[in-house]
Amino acid sequence: MSKTGLCSSHRTRRHFLADTSMGLTGLALGTLLRRNALGKEPHFAPKAKRVIWLFMLGGVSHVESFDPKPDLNKYAGKQLSETPMKDVLSNAFVKENLKAFVPGQHQIKMTLYPMQTGFRKRGKNGVEVSDWFPNMGDMMHEVSLIRSVWTTDNDHGAILQFHTGRHIFDGYLPTLGSWAHYGLGSLNENLPAFVVLGQPPGDCCGGVGTHGSGYLGPEHAGVRLEVDPKNPLPFASPGSGVYREEQQREFEFLNKLNGMSGVEYPSDPALKARIKSYELAYRMQMAAPEAIDYKPESEGVKKLYGIDQEVTKPFGEVCLAARRLSERGVRFVQVYHGGSGNAWDAHKDLKKNHTDLAAQTDKPVAGLLQDLKQRGLLDETLVVWATEFGRTPGAEQSNGRDHHPFGFSVWMAGGGIKAGEVHGATDEIGFHAVEHRHYVTDIHATVLHQLGLDPKRLDIPGRKRIEIDYGTPIKEIIA
Amino acid sequence: MRSPFWVAAFGFAAALVSPAQTPADLYTSHIQPLFQKSCLPCHNAASSQGGLDLSSRAAMLKGSEHGPVVLPGKPEQSQLYKVVAHISKPTMPFNGKKLAEADVAKIADWIRDGAEFGPPAKDPDGVDLAEVQKHWAFRNPVRPVVPAGRFANPIDAFVDAERGKHGVKAAGPASKTTLIRRVYLDLIGLPPTPEEVAVFVSDADPKAYDKLVDRLLASPAYGERWGRHWLDIWRYSDWYGYRQSAQVRYSQRHIWRWRDWTVESLNANKPYDRMIQEMVAGDELAPGDPAVARATGYLARSWYLFNRNVWLSDVVEYTSASFMGLTLKCARCHNHKYDPIPQADYYRFRAFFEPHEVRTDRVPGQADILKDGLPRVYDADGSRPTYRFIRGNEATPDESIQLQPAVPKLFGKVDLNIKPVPLPLADSFPDTRAFVPGDLIAEAKAKIEKAQAELEKAKAKPEPDAVIRAAERRVEAAKADLPALEARIQADLAASQTPVPANVEDLAATARKLEKEANRLHADAAMILARHEFDLAAGDEKKLGKPTAKLEEAAKLLKEPAEGYTPIGPKYPTSSTGRRLALAKWIASRENPLTARVAINDMWGRHFGKPLVSTVFNFGRSGKAPSHPQLLDWLAVEFMDRGWDMKAMHRLMVTSDTYKMSSTAVDASVDPDNVYLGHMNPKRMEAEVVRDSMLAIAGKLDRTMGGADIDEKKGDSVFRRTIYFRTAPDLQMDIAQAFDVASPIECFERSVSIVPQQALALSNGPLSFTVARTVAGQLQAPDAKKFAEQAFARILGRAASPQELAASVEYLASQAELYRDPAKLTVIANGPEASVPPSKDPQQRARESLVHVLLNHNDFVTIR
Repeated sequence: MSKTGLCSSHRTRRHFLADTSMGLTGLALGTLLRRNALGKEPHFAPKAKRVIWLFMLGGVSHVESFDPKPDLNKYAGKQLSETPMKDVLSNAFVKENLKAFVPGQHQIKMTLYPMQTGFRKRGKNGVEVSDWFPNMGDMMHEVSLIRSVWTTDNDHGAILQFHTGRHIFDGYLPTLGSWAHYGLGSLNENLPAFVVLGQPPGDCCGGVGTHGSGYLGPEHAGVRLEVDPKNPLPFASPGSGVYREEQQREFEFLNKLNGMSGVEYPSDPALKARIKSYELAYRMQMAAPEAIDYKPESEGVKKLYGIDQEVTKPFGEVCLAARRLSERGVRFVQVYHGGSGNAWDAHKDLKKNHTDLAAQTDKPVAGLLQDLKQRGLLDETLVVWATEFGRTPGAEQSNGRDHHPFGFSVWMAGGGIKAGEVHGATDEIGFHAVEHRHYVTDIHATVLHQLGLDPKRLDIPGRKRIEIDYGTPIKEIIA
Repeated sequence: MRSPFWVAAFGFAAALVSPAQTPADLYTSHIQPLFQKSCLPCHNAASSQGGLDLSSRAAMLKGSEHGPVVLPGKPEQSQLYKVVAHISKPTMPFNGKKLAEADVAKIADWIRDGAEFGPPAKDPDGVDLAEVQKHWAFRNPVRPVVPAGRFANPIDAFVDAERGKHGVKAAGPASKTTLIRRVYLDLIGLPPTPEEVAVFVSDADPKAYDKLVDRLLASPAYGERWGRHWLDIWRYSDWYGYRQSAQVRYSQRHIWRWRDWTVESLNANKPYDRMIQEMVAGDELAPGDPAVARATGYLARSWYLFNRNVWLSDVVEYTSASFMGLTLKCARCHNHKYDPIPQADYYRFRAFFEPHEVRTDRVPGQADILKDGLPRVYDADGSRPTYRFIRGNEATPDESIQLQPAVPKLFGKVDLNIKPVPLPLADSFPDTRAFVPGDLIAEAKAKIEKAQAELEKAKAKPEPDAVIRAAERRVEAAKADLPALEARIQADLAASQTPVPANVEDLAATARKLEKEANRLHADAAMILARHEFDLAAGDEKKLGKPTAKLEEAAKLLKEPAEGYTPIGPKYPTSSTGRRLALAKWIASRENPLTARVAINDMWGRHFGKPLVSTVFNFGRSGKAPSHPQLLDWLAVEFMDRGWDMKAMHRLMVTSDTYKMSSTAVDASVDPDNVYLGHMNPKRMEAEVVRDSMLAIAGKLDRTMGGADIDEKKGDSVFRRTIYFRTAPDLQMDIAQAFDVASPIECFERSVSIVPQQALALSNGPLSFTVARTVAGQLQAPDAKKFAEQAFARILGRAASPQELAASVEYLASQAELYRDPAKLTVIANGPEASVPPSKDPQQRARESLVHVLLNHNDFVTIR
């Protein structure tokens, strides 16, 4: 039950991973050498080379985004017990799967609340998507929509859970991105292999553990980049008055001195690794700002992401940065939307909350899909849109909805996923996932499978994963 | 009755005349436990010293390599009896104290009765103690014989013996310059100054190194350095949870007091067994002593707001793993898969902690415990039952059996003798302590002043009449609070006296009257505001929330206190169960086969760069065997024999020839992992050492010790040692994160990675610029060559080679040339600013640049 990824520690892992002749620093050097070879071997031929993982913090209402429920309108204002769906509460899924964060909090809301927006058939395949997501709706023929995901935490610990596969009570375990990084390494040694964009959730809900690497070790954790070409990551640039030429010379001179030292310690693997790490760092500080800086993109592309509009600009920039990083070989780009304020968490005023936030994200996300498609990148890039849970069919505080872990929607596109598939379903009021139920690790397994990794073979000696950690790839949506 | 005739005639069982006890019973009740403790550690099936195995009767009767040891019926002729009775040699237990006479007599009786083994004690959980004893770490360590040879320090003798067995050649000694830097960074986490290096190098005294070690161990910086190591293992964390709304979800506010206790205890060389006892049960060990209670921050750190089972499972998991290398956590849901630990043992262990809770006591000078206080534990309720959770699920406790606190069965029969601990008033009603009333009164007076200031402000503005009137009433209320407080203090102090003074009822009545009076004034102020806000709302229903709340507040105030008066602080039980103290005493005892070994392994790993048991948190059967089993046991026994004296063990380790070796292998191909210590392992500075060393080199390190955690974002401008900065899962310094700082959630051993982020932190980070510019300004060198010499000595702690010097001189010249025409250069300038700007003089700036490069040199972060 090791948690955040800052102290991995374990010899067993070192022995497992590294050439044993490398001694103390074997692991790091082993990692570097693998990066040198541009990535590790997948378990089988991959369909996707890289992943863009879009995560909406706070919990997007499934019944007002991708899962229309006319019965909510039909029974609006009625108590659950007065409807034909009165049995949902006695369903075993409630008793067995719910692991309340604070027992008694987030009681199931009993008064059904009508959908706050309309739905219509969108995309070339005519999938029903709400009026708040018209642009994403237009791309539905490129997407596999999964309407039957469930999780167990009814509070925002579910953010961490969606990334590690386990309840926050089980601790801070390796996240999906860190497994991908661990399993495959990098495609571009000038950039970190696992990058995080946007504001991560607060410390309440996983914090940096949400892109952490747990017992896999800090080198596999997500590296946060700011969409600021001037200083995209900590220490990417020096303070004022330092010259590029000076830095270049310092770097060369440092190499020279370390080389002299190498004569004295010819067999020291750490020295070689350190020299290499400076080369990487030097290139990374050039490559990261270049990747983040979207100025050279055409106006047309910027428009695609909504960068020309005030509302869509911030998230448009993030999505465009995600594409640029992905294109340059970043294996896993994890994008947060919603910041630490749990933006989509519409306990009240859902209509205002969701119209605002959908407006911020709809065009940029759709733009990302279009852009990837027109560049021919979508085939090899797996895009996932997810959120920690849906929202209750019942009303909270008269005009909001509470957290709902029992059934909600996620979609995936590109990277060998079927285009235009709709998979799974919730019941008539969107309460339980009833058809093709998928726990969050099925999403993980699908992502890993597309990357050519068998989740069951991703294991660390001395660290026990349990059955639920592995998940099962969702065969029905794999092309 | 016990004649051979009887034995011969009726067999051993029939010889058993005592109706109360058969020989087999005697074996089960006395002999087996005695063997278990004193004989089986060496004479067992797996390691039969001298060829003797006492784990079964058949094996025992086979005897040792010198012949039979037991002749049933004839104790006087049995070698076993003779050696334990110290009649013949080698006396047993080997190198140990003689058994008690009564035990020796029991052995004689037992042999006389036929030396029958009888069935092993039946254990309902199925723990087979003979099986347990087969695992090395579950047997008590016995001091092995030091291999003969030329070595003064037994460490070297053991290491050399292993090297000999594996054909590994030892490296020569490290140079004195290398050695002094190594031992400084190791013991105090700071590098020596060039002057200190020079003195040591030229000191011809053969004791110079030993004296240096003594000096370093006596330095307060030792406690800071090694305190951080132990806090890794004990998973120190400042509070975390939801900083945004200041909600503590994990750990405690002011937990730094436990950090300070750690540093102080190490500096005072408090014995390790005592440290464990204080951390697990300081409140029971030294009732009424807040300085000791600080240590229980160790337990308070595992506190968790939302789920007590998560909290207690962390306590169980980490207490067993950190002190004993026991993976008890694996038995939470089912019997342990590898070690003989039934699931119930997990919950029996939990039962030691079942009664405990966390609280914050006031500290002198601050009445508000949110601002300062002492987080500590206490036993709140000794009657809470402990149940086994079926499949580890808290929703399905097995309520048919209430489990009692007990150590895991694999440790054999352990009588903990749990006794309740009576607590003084200072613990049961801490606010009766002498300093508290004064602090409370000072706080009440400050509130009067605050209310007055608010009134002045309201008048000056001016606020509407009603607001001013409410503010006036608040001043009156605050003034009335003071006599009410004084009366409550008097009443509480009187009620706490023995015998209770006669006027206690009157004092209570006065306190109630004054408190009611003050509350009435507070209520009045709330009413005035309620009325005012009601008027402002002017019938708008949406605006009625505020006045309604105010009204409710007033109504509540008028009802309080419902009866009596409000005590000045919380009251707690007057005794503690003593469970934790009993556990702690057993963990930190010679009876425990694991504790000393685990601590020695942790120390060894940090001194030598590689622990003897690589699975530092798992000494169980699925862990790895020690690379040097005899050395580990020798050190463990030595540690206990020296009264768990940590400094003595550090001294022993760092004064060994093994420690003083060069880190360059004679032939790296023979033992590529350096398991057998053919040479010293080079190490990389830990995160704290990187930052602290840079600051020390620049003479900027602020050596103030202790105190509240410092904002982790201020690491580039506040120059205290890194241990004093906040550390929690989301709150760690960037530079520390780059260099693999300990995860506050779990860190038995740090990882050592080499990643580009480290290069960026040192080449672009503001701290290395600040240090480089400062040091370059401090070095007074007449020419480039002298400057380079001094810079190498100062930063890398060693002399520059002629080649390095030449290159540096050339670099200084060309770099100065570069700066001469800044107009041609490209400014980068985006990152955080260093607190010292670059020099405008090209020569000087070149010098700064050289120092900056040396801070990035592999030899800076590397400890050879």
